[in-house]
Amino acid sequence: MGDSTRPLESDGVFVTSQWVGAAVPRREDARTVQGQARYVDDIDMDTAHVAFVRSPHAHARITAIDTRDAEASPGVLAVMTGRDVAAATNPVAPRGITASVTQYVMAVDKVRYAGEPVVAVVAGTQYLAEDAAARVHVDYEPLPPVVEIEEALAEGAPLVFEEAGTNVLLHDAFEHGDVAGAFRGADLVVKETFRMPRFSSTPLEPWAIIAQWDPGTGAFVVWSNDQQPGRTAINVSRTLRVPIDKVRYIIPDSGGGFGIKLAVWPYIVILCLLARRAGKAVRWIQTRSEHLLAGTHTPEALIEAELALARDGRFLAIRVNSKENDGSFVHTAGIYPLIKFAVIVGCYGIRATAFEFSTVVTNKAPTVQNRGVGKPGMTFVLERLVDLAARALDLDPAEIRRRNFVRPEQMPYTTPTGEVYESGDYPECLRRALELAGYDEWCRKRDALREEGRYLGVGIAAGIEPGTSNLGYYYISRGRPDFLGSVEGAMVGADFDGGITVVTGSVDAGQGHATTVAQVVADMLAIRPEQVSMSTHFDSATSPFAPHSGTYANRFNDVELGAVVAATRKLRAKMLRIAAFVLGVHERSLALRAGTIHVEGDPTKAVSFQEIAAYAYKKALLLPEEIEPGLREIAYYQNRAAKVPRREEFNIQLTHANAVHVVVAEVDVATGFVTLPKYVIVHDWGRQLNPGIVKGMVIGSTVHGIGAALYEEFLYSPDGQLLTGTFMDYLKPVALTVPRFDLGEMESPCPTSPLGTKAVGEGGAITSLPAIANAVEDALRPFGVTVTSLPITPEKTLRAIRGARVI
Amino acid sequence: MRIRVRLNGRTVEHDVEPRLLLVHFIRQVARLTGTHVGCDTGNCGACTVLVEGKAVKSCLMLAVQADGKDIVTIEGLANGGGLHPVQRAFIEKFGVQCGYCTPGMIMSACALLASIPSPSEFEVREALEGNLCMCTGYEQIVDAILHASTLDRGHGGPRRAPQAPHGRLGHGPGDPGRASGTTEAGHGR
Repeated sequence: MGDSTRPLESDGVFVTSQWVGAAVPRREDARTVQGQARYVDDIDMDTAHVAFVRSPHAHARITAIDTRDAEASPGVLAVMTGRDVAAATNPVAPRGITASVTQYVMAVDKVRYAGEPVVAVVAGTQYLAEDAAARVHVDYEPLPPVVEIEEALAEGAPLVFEEAGTNVLLHDAFEHGDVAGAFRGADLVVKETFRMPRFSSTPLEPWAIIAQWDPGTGAFVVWSNDQQPGRTAINVSRTLRVPIDKVRYIIPDSGGGFGIKLAVWPYIVILCLLARRAGKAVRWIQTRSEHLLAGTHTPEALIEAELALARDGRFLAIRVNSKENDGSFVHTAGIYPLIKFAVIVGCYGIRATAFEFSTVVTNKAPTVQNRGVGKPGMTFVLERLVDLAARALDLDPAEIRRRNFVRPEQMPYTTPTGEVYESGDYPECLRRALELAGYDEWCRKRDALREEGRYLGVGIAAGIEPGTSNLGYYYISRGRPDFLGSVEGAMVGADFDGGITVVTGSVDAGQGHATTVAQVVADMLAIRPEQVSMSTHFDSATSPFAPHSGTYANRFNDVELGAVVAATRKLRAKMLRIAAFVLGVHERSLALRAGTIHVEGDPTKAVSFQEIAAYAYKKALLLPEEIEPGLREIAYYQNRAAKVPRREEFNIQLTHANAVHVVVAEVDVATGFVTLPKYVIVHDWGRQLNPGIVKGMVIGSTVHGIGAALYEEFLYSPDGQLLTGTFMDYLKPVALTVPRFDLGEMESPCPTSPLGTKAVGEGGAITSLPAIANAVEDALRPFGVTVTSLPITPEKTLRAIRGARVI
Repeated sequence: MRIRVRLNGRTVEHDVEPRLLLVHFIRQVARLTGTHVGCDTGNCGACTVLVEGKAVKSCLMLAVQADGKDIVTIEGLANGGGLHPVQRAFIEKFGVQCGYCTPGMIMSACALLASIPSPSEFEVREALEGNLCMCTGYEQIVDAILHASTLDRGHGGPRRAPQAPHGRLGHGPGDPGRASGTTEAGHGR
């Protein structure tokens, strides 16, 4: 360990190569496996409890609310209606949409989805709060609901937001390259209409909030499992009409996020109001039923797409028209269609793209950026078109991809919309995946087993997994980019005893950030990871966080580690200055080793971190005047590849991993059940910092995709009632229904991320969807079945086999 | 109703409302928060504990039904210092991500290894069917349990379900293990 050391180059990051890249066990886990993790509801604190009265109707006018019985109920401390909330708050601020609409964090006068909060009740215990909530009487005048996309677009459809005059809150169209010319000159056009389901990655811990108000200072403290404290601070203070410093956010352990916890903040606003009204700290732990009913989903999408090809299989252009059902939450409406641009050409050298989209609102539950955000749907569509084209041209699915991949010598490659693929070798990634899968052998086996009445199929999909959102894209249609790029902050310091402490702006929801940060800092300072302290809990009072801060869009490996590296560099430089002074030598002659700084070539002339810290704090008077006391350094970092969005050219995301999935699916044609006997993933992660963590991310993400591909869908009745509202009927993958995965190795370092890393958190959830769909369609070729929708449920599969021919 | 249970080897006696769920008794009355709640319908398994050595979803049982029973939660595994082999294996094999399912997974694994000391991969996956994990895709959890089945046991596991150290709960009024300080009605925090 900590063996010294290359001489410190002026731009060198690491001085040892002991920890980065090693499968260091996660420091987070010893607490977790003993039941000592602390999630929000584990906080031992005297609080009252909140229960919500939720709308039983999808669309209705509220004609009367009578809270008198509830207020008289045992233990009740406060009751608030939507009107009470609206009187004390600003409306929700939209991001993507251009239509002007007004929505508050609770229903006011009208409900827009079944499950929308109408009244909030605070009581001494959870049981009493629920008892009292049952005694709130609300009169509704039901309105005709608008549930599906087609209904919302129909002439004379009821309006979800009357003031908008339409159910389309954002419509836009973009064209890059000569699309019309490419389609005119095409030898073949493959065209299909696809449906993506409404689903969710459903973190196992639902949303959870405790809010406390101090009447003396008027300040709030909020404990929640929010995953984006930067934007939440802005949203909450704006909505609650208080300055940012009046709300302190503490995020303890969080039981998964996957984007779904980006929409906790409206409830934080409500909890703050309740804490102030009740004069007591209040706690709300969302139930699973509430979570599935009301917060939040991936929007379903209806996507028409066409791909223009030359006779030899070259892709010339793609045209997409996408309609998303964004439900009823104006804050996130419009995000999904915009982010799809990031992967509209996938791994291919398509030079002309046209994209038109409509963000449709309905009386379904709110939507939010679920793992992959629109890119799973776009990749599903593109990779399905590729397979349909291969079949039309009688080309092997591997061969048609090979002919169209962006080639390694073209890197860095700029797509027609301005997305920059920094590095990668897509043909090699495919080659490795096919080899690992035993592709040819499985194809032979498939053909042989068909003779026995068994239906196997082999599916290939190639996908891009972008990381680090350039947030300006949200605002591209509005033309007023507000949030640009991606900034993160970190503080790295030496304590009085020489121990190293790191504070970042991120939130850990299972990613093992503290483990990885400790590995990086250890190799930068020639110490052991155990000597680096980092809390897994976020606290806005101590964190140098930024408005972008949070854990989403695969940004940890890029900007967060960028901030950590930058702050550690500053700290190291200062420690070297102090050491040079103490040892009486020039900084350039120093090296680091095992918690000391010594004269290179003479380890006996050394000063320990502890002694350096003593000089920085306790003995600062001895330092020369030009060395400032103290040893804590803050750095902010941003990925500078971000462009300021223009319609002609913009990039949505700033790093680009890629993957190839090769899947074998077997369809039981008697029951319609699909199993996956072989699953190969080759994911180019740029560089692995901790292979144990990376492997878990890649597999876990892929299983989210398996859920969306085969099992999961929020189904609604025609009157807007959620039909799949528990884990009894909203089916998740379980240990028995997922395969064992074969992972290949592929590392093409990213030149624009600080350590060469690329994203790994979302790629599995992106590429798996088409890989499975392609495999199922291949398995059902004897029946002439085409897969145009997900999930591929037994029911849909049987209908297709028995005559419908379409899943 | 007054109930008395043996919880991780300690006797806990308390007045509870008849409707109080066992998981809320464990979390809110006994203040053992390692047992989690992830759904309302008994599907997710985050609340799995051992009752009389068998894996039970504590959200599907009322506290009054546990009267007189021996219960082990995640906090009761690492008795006497060292981690239980299943706990160690979860760390070594990266079986944890967000950790919310982990206690329930570990309790299910302990019940499995008590009845099948050397399970096949299929048997492990089958035994976990009542436990949802949203993060890992299960593979590293399965690997951890297979690994645990090969580890030598320091105490209690993995080859038999952990038992409370003092054996079965007696019903005599003067049980020396009685917990103190928990006298108000059941579901307070």
